[in-house]
Amino acid sequence: MHDAHDALTRAGRALRIVLLIALALLFLIPFYLLVRNGLATEQDITAPDWTFFPHDLQWSNLTEVFRDPNLPMGRALLNSTLIAVATTVGTVLLASLAGYGLARIPYRHSGIVFYAILGTLMVPAAVTFVPSFVLVSSLGWISTLRGLVIPTLFSAFACFIFRQYFLGFPKELEDAARVDGLGYWRTYWRIVVPNARPVFAAVGTIVFIGAWNAFLWPLVIGQDQESWTVQVALSTFTTAQNLNLHELFVAAAVSIAPLVLVFLLLQRYIVAGVERTGIDD
Amino acid sequence: MSVRTTEGAGAGAETSPQPASPAPRPSFGARMLGPQRRNLWFWVFVGPFAVGLGLFTYVPLAWSVYLSFFDAHNTVTPTDFVGLDNYTSMLGDDAFLGSLGTFLLFTVFIVPATFALSLGLALMVNRLRFAQAFFRSVFFLPTACSYVVASLIWKLSIFNGVRFGLANTVLGWFGGDQTAWLSTTHPPWYWLVIVTVRLWLQAGFYMILFLAGLQRISPQLYEAAAVDGARPGWQVFRHLTFPQLRATSVAVVLLLVINAFQAFDEFYNLLSDARGYPPYARPPLVYLYYTALGREQNLGLGSAGAVILALIIAVATVVQARWFGLGRKED
Amino acid sequence: MTGTDHGIGRRRLLAVSGGIALTGVLAACGSNTGRGGGGSGPAISQWYHQYGEAGAEQAVKRYAAAYQKAAVTVQWRPGDYDRQTAAALLTDSGPDVFEVNGPLLDQIRGGQVTDLTAEVEPVKDDFNQAVLAPKIWQDKIWGIPQTIDMQLLYYRKSLLKDAGVEPPQSLDELVDAAKKLTTKNVKGLFLGNDGGVGVLGGTPLFAAGLSLIGDDGKAGFDDPAAARALGKIHQLYADRSLLLGAPTDWSDPSAFIQGLTAMQWSGLWALPQVKKALGDDFGVLPFPKDGSGGKPSVPVGAYGAAVSARSKRMAEAKAYAKWLWVDRTDYQQDFALSYGFHIPARISLAKKAEQLRTGPAADAVRFATEYGYAEPLLWTTADRTAYQDALSRIIKDGAHPETELKSVIRQVNAELQRVKKK
Repeated sequence: MHDAHDALTRAGRALRIVLLIALALLFLIPFYLLVRNGLATEQDITAPDWTFFPHDLQWSNLTEVFRDPNLPMGRALLNSTLIAVATTVGTVLLASLAGYGLARIPYRHSGIVFYAILGTLMVPAAVTFVPSFVLVSSLGWISTLRGLVIPTLFSAFACFIFRQYFLGFPKELEDAARVDGLGYWRTYWRIVVPNARPVFAAVGTIVFIGAWNAFLWPLVIGQDQESWTVQVALSTFTTAQNLNLHELFVAAAVSIAPLVLVFLLLQRYIVAGVERTGIDD
Repeated sequence: MSVRTTEGAGAGAETSPQPASPAPRPSFGARMLGPQRRNLWFWVFVGPFAVGLGLFTYVPLAWSVYLSFFDAHNTVTPTDFVGLDNYTSMLGDDAFLGSLGTFLLFTVFIVPATFALSLGLALMVNRLRFAQAFFRSVFFLPTACSYVVASLIWKLSIFNGVRFGLANTVLGWFGGDQTAWLSTTHPPWYWLVIVTVRLWLQAGFYMILFLAGLQRISPQLYEAAAVDGARPGWQVFRHLTFPQLRATSVAVVLLLVINAFQAFDEFYNLLSDARGYPPYARPPLVYLYYTALGREQNLGLGSAGAVILALIIAVATVVQARWFGLGRKED
Repeated sequence: MTGTDHGIGRRRLLAVSGGIALTGVLAACGSNTGRGGGGSGPAISQWYHQYGEAGAEQAVKRYAAAYQKAAVTVQWRPGDYDRQTAAALLTDSGPDVFEVNGPLLDQIRGGQVTDLTAEVEPVKDDFNQAVLAPKIWQDKIWGIPQTIDMQLLYYRKSLLKDAGVEPPQSLDELVDAAKKLTTKNVKGLFLGNDGGVGVLGGTPLFAAGLSLIGDDGKAGFDDPAAARALGKIHQLYADRSLLLGAPTDWSDPSAFIQGLTAMQWSGLWALPQVKKALGDDFGVLPFPKDGSGGKPSVPVGAYGAAVSARSKRMAEAKAYAKWLWVDRTDYQQDFALSYGFHIPARISLAKKAEQLRTGPAADAVRFATEYGYAEPLLWTTADRTAYQDALSRIIKDGAHPETELKSVIRQVNAELQRVKKK
């Protein structure tokens, strides 16, 4: 009886591991395809018989992408980096301040302010898209990094997460600081921020991913070629009349490479941060 | 420099809890500042964010509402007031109503599917004794991809309709016919493509949330359950693990629903072409996008549809929040 | 502390702290990437959508650089060009001169583009009248046709011969041919990945002897022949003769060249590429006629050069548009024929073009002249959406053509009423 149970458990465990491995392989297929297609010739990709991996790896595809005059990939990577970094810093700064204010500073109307902020989460971006565009263009921000960054800095989602986190932040720490005569401002910078690194890391990561992967806004605001982001540059390929599959895939691989590297290197930190965001407090 | 100025002012404020109120305008100033100048400090912290959000969200939103009452073709400063005409024609538009149905179908499917997959992954990964970090990375890595890139891989390499697509190659090994995954409406294979993109991109992120939830469950609870004779597996999951994950589950469902409401990218990148968008699998955002922002540029009608959609989303969210009992704590 | 001190302190504090975040970011972001460039005179910006053909971008930049009276900056815009221009025209940061797949009726009615009648008038008769007609609204010309695009049917001679199929001369023959040409790995016909919904437009209607908007100013396909013709497109789909889900769409000849399909509906622009890959092993056809009242049809159209009504240098922009698209016939010819393949919009230039005199190119020009139809200006985007939705349901879902068309006709007639107002 006992043995049978053990055998069952063991079989269950084996089954679970087989299932996990199968799922992991499925999840890796798209990455495999990016690399396979990106390093193949056009003939390899369109051949009737599936080749598991191209025989001659076409590393020249990579240089082809960076040399293509129609596709300023280097510049686009730089733009995406600048935009993503500026957006992340700005969003985290603004949202964390607001989140702290909402969570900790007693104010009669803070409830109204909070719901006014939270309410924007329900408004789909497409609803406000055209007026936003007109607004930004009337500020003269078309094709500028300002136009690409500033309107996207005010994330209600980030503010919400910070607020929830700070609500659960140990009040004793702050009380001690206030006994020492620190005001809200210095308490925030000296006590709260250093002790809240995980949530900053988590929100920062989420914002960074979003900014790096944003498509619609950069497409419309980044009108000059010099202000294209990688996503926009990539989309030029899919709309070109003559589609080069290998170039498209290698460009796609290049576009996700920085984020994948960041993920692999900082994984532990990011995961710990996401786990502790407190959205499920 | 600027920071120091602020701090100086802040310290000054804190050292005199009740600001001395000279004769001319005593009560008003004090009231505005609040005790310990809390009102002021509230706005120092929240103000920049609130101003930005007002400018870049509420102003455009109000503008959209304004446009929805006008015949606004190719203009954002219309003059031709039409009252509720845009609303009545939107509500009488089969294509718009159909898009709401599409949206509902998508939400009803994607939310439970993502929930189940990410919870399943978390349960399996959590109990691993080796290579846990490896599996966690594999499932989390897609979060780094954009919908643009994922749609491109799905559309051009996995689910293209010709012989060198991966899905068709695999079908071919078993003697199946080539299938045009995105173009076939009977059966609606395109749903398979759309849903798998989102599952792939999202499951890892929610898995991490569930993993965090699982790790917070005290091992003593499991020991107690074992002593009580609960069999590991379904029983423990049903009566111990799942109830303990309630907070996480609620958060995940809310996030999934909000994300489903905003679904646009994968639909657009998978199904649109230079000539437009097919009438199937067309969620409201895509439909409105073509009405207001595409060549049609019917900003009045598009805005009316957007307002209707925003109202539906708002009602759904409030109902959902009540259902889960959120917000009670704060009230 | 006095009350005044508080006031100042508060104001300063608000200004400072509010500014911290924004100024920091502003400084980090740097400034405008800058427009304009070399050249002399006032600055004009000109937009083109991204042409796939190599050399086209360099060519239009060369033309712009040759203009002496203004410094013209050319923007070559990939992505959804129609939406980009539509959005930009709502603002002051849009182009001065731009090409447009139109201008559309609502762009004209909305006052977004400028009247170019005076510029075109002297050579009006030299333009191909079929493509000029949709640029005219209330007897004024709102866009200058640049070059003529047309679509036609490419077929692989060797594959037809192997299957014992003659080039189809009627829609019924096309249905049969596509069926016979379909094998396990090769499909008979490629009408785009959506089964022809997007590209066909009014073509089958014209092939059945009908039109999009009739002479009476109402929907021109209120006729049983329309349902009959569209039903045959569904037949193609139901027979599984159509290639669907190819990596490239109908506008790209890759599927045809790669041998995924025996026949493909595509643009004239693809002809050089097809010729290079297949040599003489291909021919071209118009969309075959259907029924006794029908005749073959091919869609023709022209991107128009338009001047934005918001341009701050309207006179200069108009002068430049006239210079390039009316006066400089050498550039017009170069643009039409040296990169990709288009028919010049000017009759006199089309006659001179060597490249259009022999082989399939000559056939194509003949089709355009004899069977060409252009979508009328009154056929608005809302009409097209309604029609395409119906077409999709007819072709893919096997919906009843008559019922579907009936609701389209109702919608089209209502839309025609709307644009007649005012």
